[in-house]
Amino acid sequence: MAPADPPAHDAPVAGEAPLAVELRGITKRFPGVVANRDIELRVRRGEVHAVVGENGAGKSTLMKTLYGEHRPDEGQILVDGREVVFRSPADAIAAGIGMVHQHFMLADNFTVLENVVLGSEPTRGGRLDLAEARRRITDISDRYSLGLQPDALVEDLGVGDRQRVEIAKVLYRDARILILDEPTAVLVPQEVDELFANLAELKREGLTVVFISHKLDEVRRVADAITVIRRGTTVGTADPRTTTARQLAELMVGAELPTPETRESTVRETPVLQLVGVTVRDAGARPVVDDVTLTVREGEVVGIAGVEGNGQAELVDAVMGLRPLAAGSVLLGGQDVTAWSTRVRREAGVGFIPEDRHRQGMLLDAPLWENRILGHQTRPPAVRGPFIDRRGARADTARIMREYDVRAPGPDTLAVALSGGNQQKLIVGREMSAGPRLLVAAHPTRGVDVGAQAVIWELLKDARAEGLGIVLVSADLDELIGLSDTLHVMLRGRLVATLDPGQVTPEELGGHMTGARTAGAA
Amino acid sequence: MSGLRRVALSLFGPVLAVVVALVISAVVIALIGEDPARAFGVMTDLGDSPSQQVQSIVVILNRAVPLFLAGLAVAVAFRMGLFNIGVEGQYRLATILAAAVGAAVALPGPLHVLLIVVVAMAIGALWAGIVGVLKVTRGVSEVISSIMLNFIALGLASFLLTGPLRGSPPGASIITTSEIPESGRVPSLNGVLTALGLAEPRSALHGFLPVAVVVGVVVAVLLQRTRFGFDLRATGLSPSAATASGVDARGMVVKTMLISGAIAGLIGLPDLLGTQYDYGTEFTAGLGFLGIAVALLGRSSPLGIAMAALLFAFLDRAALPLQFADIPASVVTIIQGTIVLAVVVANEIARRLALRSAERAGATAGPGPDPGADGAPPPTAPDGGQRARAGVPGTSEDVRR
Amino acid sequence: MRRKMRAASLLIAGSMVLAACASDETTDAGGGGGAPAAEELRVGLAYDTGGRGDRSFNDSAYTGAAAAVDALGGELQEFSPNEDASNRGEGLASLAEQGFDPVIAVGFNYDEVIAEVAPQFPDTTFAQVDGSNADGAKGENVTGLIFAEEEGSFLAGVAAALKSEAAHIGFVGGVESPLIQKFEAGYVAGAQAVDPQIRVDRQYISPAGDFSGFSDPARGQIVAQGMYDAGADIVYHAAGGSGIGVFQAAAASGNRAIGVDSDQYLTVDDPALQAVIMTSMLKRVDNAVEQFINDYAEGNVEGATDVLNDLSTEGIDLATSGGFIDDIQGEIDEYKQQITDGTITVPTTIE
Repeated sequence: MAPADPPAHDAPVAGEAPLAVELRGITKRFPGVVANRDIELRVRRGEVHAVVGENGAGKSTLMKTLYGEHRPDEGQILVDGREVVFRSPADAIAAGIGMVHQHFMLADNFTVLENVVLGSEPTRGGRLDLAEARRRITDISDRYSLGLQPDALVEDLGVGDRQRVEIAKVLYRDARILILDEPTAVLVPQEVDELFANLAELKREGLTVVFISHKLDEVRRVADAITVIRRGTTVGTADPRTTTARQLAELMVGAELPTPETRESTVRETPVLQLVGVTVRDAGARPVVDDVTLTVREGEVVGIAGVEGNGQAELVDAVMGLRPLAAGSVLLGGQDVTAWSTRVRREAGVGFIPEDRHRQGMLLDAPLWENRILGHQTRPPAVRGPFIDRRGARADTARIMREYDVRAPGPDTLAVALSGGNQQKLIVGREMSAGPRLLVAAHPTRGVDVGAQAVIWELLKDARAEGLGIVLVSADLDELIGLSDTLHVMLRGRLVATLDPGQVTPEELGGHMTGARTAGAA
Repeated sequence: MSGLRRVALSLFGPVLAVVVALVISAVVIALIGEDPARAFGVMTDLGDSPSQQVQSIVVILNRAVPLFLAGLAVAVAFRMGLFNIGVEGQYRLATILAAAVGAAVALPGPLHVLLIVVVAMAIGALWAGIVGVLKVTRGVSEVISSIMLNFIALGLASFLLTGPLRGSPPGASIITTSEIPESGRVPSLNGVLTALGLAEPRSALHGFLPVAVVVGVVVAVLLQRTRFGFDLRATGLSPSAATASGVDARGMVVKTMLISGAIAGLIGLPDLLGTQYDYGTEFTAGLGFLGIAVALLGRSSPLGIAMAALLFAFLDRAALPLQFADIPASVVTIIQGTIVLAVVVANEIARRLALRSAERAGATAGPGPDPGADGAPPPTAPDGGQRARAGVPGTSEDVRR
Repeated sequence: MRRKMRAASLLIAGSMVLAACASDETTDAGGGGGAPAAEELRVGLAYDTGGRGDRSFNDSAYTGAAAAVDALGGELQEFSPNEDASNRGEGLASLAEQGFDPVIAVGFNYDEVIAEVAPQFPDTTFAQVDGSNADGAKGENVTGLIFAEEEGSFLAGVAAALKSEAAHIGFVGGVESPLIQKFEAGYVAGAQAVDPQIRVDRQYISPAGDFSGFSDPARGQIVAQGMYDAGADIVYHAAGGSGIGVFQAAAASGNRAIGVDSDQYLTVDDPALQAVIMTSMLKRVDNAVEQFINDYAEGNVEGATDVLNDLSTEGIDLATSGGFIDDIQGEIDEYKQQITDGTITVPTTIE
């Protein structure tokens, strides 16, 4: 497949809307690396333009160029038809370009109003003019239906609201062109819908949105035009109305895609994990996991579907021994392990791929071989008696890197230097290397590029075939349906439905997750 | 190749710090109307005669030993992300009680010393352990509780010294505990110096020096080579990841504070067992706080701390000849302060550079050398250099925890 | 990475030490030992914590030594210990080693150190301000320059009791050490000699072993303020640099205070504070040091003795600057007479 000559909109037809942003032949080199090469990007005024590509394809580098965080080595930037040179983001802001970062940059203990004006405080005679700021924010909020309450504390806001604050912040600075960097990565489906509604408002007001993503379904829903980046360069543009997600993905990866579908059932009789009436309460004694009973057999993938925040994370914690149970018991291979510590459970053969690998899965500032030890501090080859076996750990890290295709210079590389996908492959390899009986995998392919995703799926399938029991928590419905042998839906802490992944469609599953459907085969 | 680069990078931090500190100090010295070159010359002049030079080195070593122990005590907690400001109170309380026990019992030589050491470590550990237990059971910040416990420890030590443990006669200007008898003292190492063919120094080289070295080695091995040390460092790097890996974070807090406190308990012993033989009102105070600076300068690694302690001791000794050369000794304080500040800044710069270079290395590692890149997925795009910038903290986009 | 870092710091510190060693390798030996500087007077002065510029006894010692050197010709070398005073001994020994003679240590904190150092330099003459060597325990070459602070404090107590309208006075000590307790004992005894019923509030800023009480004006002010609030109208401080706080508390509450060591009416810069300093208990460290150097120059120093400075030698006195106590001078002189002739024995410790 060589889609160098993509289907549509390669060159703007004369008479269409003028270009808000045009990048011509942008090349950006870092010592030893060409991050962007000959990038061509044409964004028309008043459209939502998606820039898609795998993690590491160079999207962020490009956006930083556009936002003035660094200067390109070659090429031109044109805004509204005029060539500009940005020495800093301040220049970009002055030219009407605003950026909404993936990670919010808000002060939690400030109000919405304070956060929005922070850095460009309105003054009257040297004094902070909050009345004027409030008026403008209310105005912006009404005009673009952002629904902001100027006096709410940011720490009390949900993720979606925070994102709207970020958007308001950019609008407050009179941006006409908004760059949104992976805005949906942190949102649950409903919030994504709300965001897209907001984007539509922005568009209607004539603003231009550059939308960075690798979630192709979303891109197709919201974008008017798509530019695909692969290996640092633009490989083509696409019309979302005429291009399928699969075609887009293949354009991104440059090859045909794998699918998560499992071939045949490998489920055996022996249960590996049994949860009986497991209940977990939060600090306020509210049950966040409510009377959950389920069984995972050898060779079985049990998927847990649910809108995020419905108790899946707490359920995972309960299985791993990271959170005390209010009631119920956890049985591992028929043995009651409710009172066991996390370490003992791991020693007993429980592998763990945590939801947030940076928070729970890795020591970012430590070398890879030390990350190999993490979670396996009591077992060879990482340790010998009370001592750490540095040589053994390094050798085994090298093996994992080889066998699991972890791309890094060597075991002494710091984990932080790896891309998300490579970090995740290391984690998967590490957990598999201990020969677990049960694997608790929470969002195993989240934030991972398509290539790494395929590798991880393959690995999970292989391990399942060899008799591993897997608890799979995911927000990716295709992944859940494709990999699971049994599928439970979790809503408000309870398992509300058990579905046959062979029968269910993503739409039906989504219905169960939001509680719209209550039937269920449970 | 990359190894060489990494060495250069790691040298960069401390060298930059020392150079910056020296430049700032030179400016300050020049501003007060003295000749910086002469000042630095005076500082590095250890003396004219061999015996003076040996004496100077003994003075440096004697000062470095307690600083090293103090730095270690702080660093052990640092490495796990705990800020033990209570080292000061821990060592003062440990020293006075160890002195009292040492004076009260009579045992054969080595046993007597051992008892004193054990008591000091136990008291230090106990006092620090309170901090750990408070943090684990009540969620009290170790910073707050250890500062508070400092006040209590100092007050308690004063009360004990002037009350039940007073050993000096009523009229004496300096109040002390009773003297530790001969069997509880650690002989000086001057015999070793002379045996090495060096001139006999005027002062006694602390016999506690080898003990400090052993403690340093034990701590280094514990931190770097053992499972326990791994758990400790992992908790320091990321408490959430350590917990998920099976580390009992609460237990680690208490254990780490116990170790930190036990080392803190040793800080006063070189002086107590080597020169003073009692704890009194003029016993050196403030070592616990200096230890924080030493640990910072030594980047919380035992060898680094040893070097930092020696550097501090070296500068401290220089205060003396500076005065004799009619240069204000506060020059030394200025240098010490600027070094610590410069180290903090330089470490951060070096860390970013190292990180950046690591990321670039990660990025360029691109198309895997791996024969294991099998059928399933085609190799993805080489990491287009994006991460080379994305991961550098401080750039606006990527805020990592 | 971390390991490399360690190696790096090792290199730096190591090279500094080595460079220092190497640079001296060739210089001539034999400079040590304390070669006597026969003709020229070379005085070594080792200060207590705080060093020069403390506006207290260190400065007073300097004044005396400088006066003597000015008059006799010669050189004065000072030494201020580092912050935690851990290099007191090394400083003292260095002075002797460099050939300074006499070497004068300021403060009782040198008690143990001088007993170690002096015997190592038998040819050097040592003196210690505030440290007794009557029994020669610190060495044959050490002279103690001691003061009868209790006598001056007694007179301060007399003045306070006579001047107090509330029959309620106070005492703020810097550090609860035996030396400062001497001040307290004399002060209380003097006040009670005038008025046996008088109320004397007594408080120390820091406990024994914590010398911050001598250099903490803020806490001095809080402590004194508490006494004034409780009804005391005159507070005597023996708290070194913290005394400023006591004066400030007095000025703020419209009461009076008594200074210590030097004539603080003259040394305090602020007229507002000057107005509240009723008198000061004078401890003439300067005189004692100057006298000692003169004695040494004349060859009159024996060693293993104490030079007692008290009311009779005018090494201790009560200041009259400002004229606040002129009206009671007669009564004060009477008590002074009784102390010098032995009718009154002033206690040195608190019962």
